[in-house]
Amino acid sequence: MENMDLAHAIVQAAKFLGAGIAMGFGAIGPAIGEGHIGAYAMDAIARQPEMSGSIVTRMLLAMAVTESTGLYSLLIAFILLFIV
Amino acid sequence: MGIKLNLSKKDKIFFIVFLIIYIVVAVLNYKHVGKLEGVGQRWIIGIGISENITLRLNPLTVIMSWAIMVFLMLSAVKFKKNLRIIPSRFQAFFEYILSFIYEIVEDSIPRKELVKPVFYISATLFLFIVISNILGGFPGIQVVPTDEGIKISLFQDTWFSPTADINTNATYAVMVLILSHAFAIKVKGFWRWFKSFFEPNPLMFPMNVIGELAKPISHSLRLFGNIAGGGILVLILSYMTKYIFIPVILWGFFGLFVGVIQALVFSMLAIAYISAQIE
Repeated sequence: MENMDLAHAIVQAAKFLGAGIAMGFGAIGPAIGEGHIGAYAMDAIARQPEMSGSIVTRMLLAMAVTESTGLYSLLIAFILLFIV
Repeated sequence: MGIKLNLSKKDKIFFIVFLIIYIVVAVLNYKHVGKLEGVGQRWIIGIGISENITLRLNPLTVIMSWAIMVFLMLSAVKFKKNLRIIPSRFQAFFEYILSFIYEIVEDSIPRKELVKPVFYISATLFLFIVISNILGGFPGIQVVPTDEGIKISLFQDTWFSPTADINTNATYAVMVLILSHAFAIKVKGFWRWFKSFFEPNPLMFPMNVIGELAKPISHSLRLFGNIAGGGILVLILSYMTKYIFIPVILWGFFGLFVGVIQALVFSMLAIAYISAQIE
């Protein structure tokens, strides 16, 4: 990394910036979504505490599906960092 | 309610010795764990068919897939041999998992005669994926390419799980897509299936086709992102802490917790896609 001309240095910097921006903005959506899921699951458990077992299972499943948009941006960040 | 730990003197000595060994190994690691190499890189060999065409192959995926398949087959043979009315622990475990999936399939598939085939598909997918994901939570042998050549790391990283390779996941997702349409043709008949692409009006035809083609992409990338991303995250974090304390917890979280949930999500989405086509 010591003897690097300017073009390569700019490309390297752009890679890191791009990965950081992709991950930072990509994490917003899933965070909001998972917060909603958690909030409504809490509501449901407060209303019917005896159903909490199946509600928690379904909450985790829904969270796993919601996470996937965040994972796409994680993939793009990894591709930028390690593959491009 | 307080939790009370009843430790005998032997246990206390064991824990103290264990902690001392742990810390000594951690300090040694701190000196010897070198630069992190080959993060996110895969060991790939190219097989040349002709001058322009090369097959690119990840040998670890092939080896681990076959190992898991052999393991599943051996446990199936053992399961069949020891079938009892009063189940042993091994039999009860598998019966619990399979009946859990069977109930999900029974709830979501409207036609009685298709419950069994769909159950076979989703249960097979679940068993294969859950074992390969759990392997990603145990330390094992990992091969990574570096600048000097191939580096084999023993028990620094986890086993390579075949689901951390996009090719495995894409194969299963495309297989589920084709199977769902095959079921639809079988249930509805060819013309009704063909017409379903032109609903509600013919202008929507491209939308319907794109909607169908987007299914395997999101289906496969969800599993791939979770397993591969989790593996890289664990590797980087445990490198930053020089393998003190954190890897065990993270391997447990990403391997066992996320792995089982994602395997369940994958097979449940397969059931959902098939049942959406059948209706």
